[in-house]
Amino acid sequence: MNVQVLERELDRLEGLWSEGLSDTYRSYLETVSDYEPEMQPKLALAAALIEVGIRLQGLGGHAAPATTLLMGDLCLARASRLLADNATQAVQVAFARAIEGVSAAAASGKPSRPVRELLVHAFSATA
Amino acid sequence: MIAGRLRFATSHATEFVDVTKMVRDEVHRSGLRTGRVHLQSLHTTVGLAINENEPLLLRDFQKLLERLAPGDAGYEHDDFARRYEISVDEPVNGHAHCRQLLLTGFATLLVEDGKLVLGRWQSVFAVELDGPRHRELALQLDGDFVPLSPAGRGFRGVRRELAPPGPAPQGGSPPSDSGAWAGTSSDLIELELARQLMVDPEPVAVPMRRLMEAGGKRLRPKLVQLASQIGPHHDALRAASLAAAVELLHNATLVHDDYIDESTHRRGRPTVAAAEGAERAIAVGDYYFAKATRLIAEIGNGEVTSTMADALEAICAAQIDDVALRGAFPGDHDSYLRVVRGKTAALFAASCASGALLSDAPPEVVEALRRFGDLLGVAFQMADDMVDFSPSSGKPVGLDIRQRVLSLPLIYAAEDRSVGPEVRRLLAGSLGDEEVDRVTELVTSSDALRRVGDEARGLVDAAVRELESIELDGLRPTLVGIARSAVDRTA
Repeated sequence: MNVQVLERELDRLEGLWSEGLSDTYRSYLETVSDYEPEMQPKLALAAALIEVGIRLQGLGGHAAPATTLLMGDLCLARASRLLADNATQAVQVAFARAIEGVSAAAASGKPSRPVRELLVHAFSATA
Repeated sequence: MIAGRLRFATSHATEFVDVTKMVRDEVHRSGLRTGRVHLQSLHTTVGLAINENEPLLLRDFQKLLERLAPGDAGYEHDDFARRYEISVDEPVNGHAHCRQLLLTGFATLLVEDGKLVLGRWQSVFAVELDGPRHRELALQLDGDFVPLSPAGRGFRGVRRELAPPGPAPQGGSPPSDSGAWAGTSSDLIELELARQLMVDPEPVAVPMRRLMEAGGKRLRPKLVQLASQIGPHHDALRAASLAAAVELLHNATLVHDDYIDESTHRRGRPTVAAAEGAERAIAVGDYYFAKATRLIAEIGNGEVTSTMADALEAICAAQIDDVALRGAFPGDHDSYLRVVRGKTAALFAASCASGALLSDAPPEVVEALRRFGDLLGVAFQMADDMVDFSPSSGKPVGLDIRQRVLSLPLIYAAEDRSVGPEVRRLLAGSLGDEEVDRVTELVTSSDALRRVGDEARGLVDAAVRELESIELDGLRPTLVGIARSAVDRTA
């Protein structure tokens, strides 16, 4: 794990690390083991931030209070930037589609496939 | 664009004439693949409607019109003794004019894959209200046309093309008529936005459509499109796609903002959170955040994707700062600038830079445009703050005060030697109608609004100076015009 890289990417989100983000991050590390070693932590963190961000927002459940929603938004934005800088176009598109699917399901009150399952699948996207 | 007339005769006093097939035929004849058909009634007693062609329902509509504007209600328009210059065959038709007022005189229909986009039960009607007569509808088609031989294009027995149809502006050459260019470009943005919203699931598309249709200045997409013409490789359709994505992204942030600020209305309509609840607002914001980032990624320009992702991150970080600063309301000038540069200016700067990047503009041009957008974005926000104190803005005066939103006029008023102590005291307490009115009065009576206006115009001057050293291929006047109008506004 590249701690320095992670520290930089956790700016403003440090509190989340000890509250479950680190565990979520580790769970994605195995998924990204086929990528270049220097990209693995960034991609795993991107996926973890999306999963945690959506949970913070209360997407598909009870709406989070304003400040928590903003943290969730920042998680999604940070993940988006990590993907923009490190992932292939196909993976970027697949991640975006996964969030579209989850949020469309939430808006219509329908159940969605688990976010982790969707994101793990998104890593396998190819052009 | 192609223009023409649809002509038909009616046979009853009130009649719903289904013109769907006529319009379809003209779309087919024109070769329009993707675009819009604009219809306009040329009569004050003919309306347009889109509804179901079911005979009993049409009789219901007719009865409804008769109930609302009965033929025998007595209309001043029919009192010929009191009117001047009436013709000998002037009809008694006050009821028909009043009924037309209840309908619309124009309609825009979308075309995709060469076909009219209509729901299963939708038909297009010309509604005769004072027949029988010979009638005409004006019709224009614009968008992307498939190449046809000149003989294949045009309208039955009517005027032919007003202007030759063709692709959107290409090659980065300066427009010979900036007004006409602006029309075409903004049409492309609107078309792309409509197209994107059409394919989305209803639970997210309906609230977003409502928000987008309520208006908005579309400044960010305009900046994308203009900047995309500066480099050597201008592609109008890719630029429209990026511009639409930027506008969707902006609106996605507004949906979450409105929930955070507990705003009940935006652009005169209920916010998504107010109308459909916080849960739906969060989902709609997330959906369009994701969709916008996908559309941007699909363009396939890594620098554009990174530029927009950086901006999105800056917006979210600034939102957190903004809410945190409400504890120290009204804040100070430095905090204000830090928040505004992230919350507003980041997307202006990214719009300018990404448009230029899309057209492979040189790095010095990209950076100059990025600085231009940054300065313009801050100035825009300052002007927006001033609008909160303008009774002619169409928005409730003092909304920012009530919501404790960071606002430069308030910061300056709180610093003012004369009104500052009272402003600070009022802002420190609870803000009911009386307190908001008093703060508004104090701000407008102080020097604060003039100072903010001067500062905003100074920033626009600085933004314009950023454009002086770069080659803009004739677009400078348009960019300068946008910059000036962004701060010289009342709404």
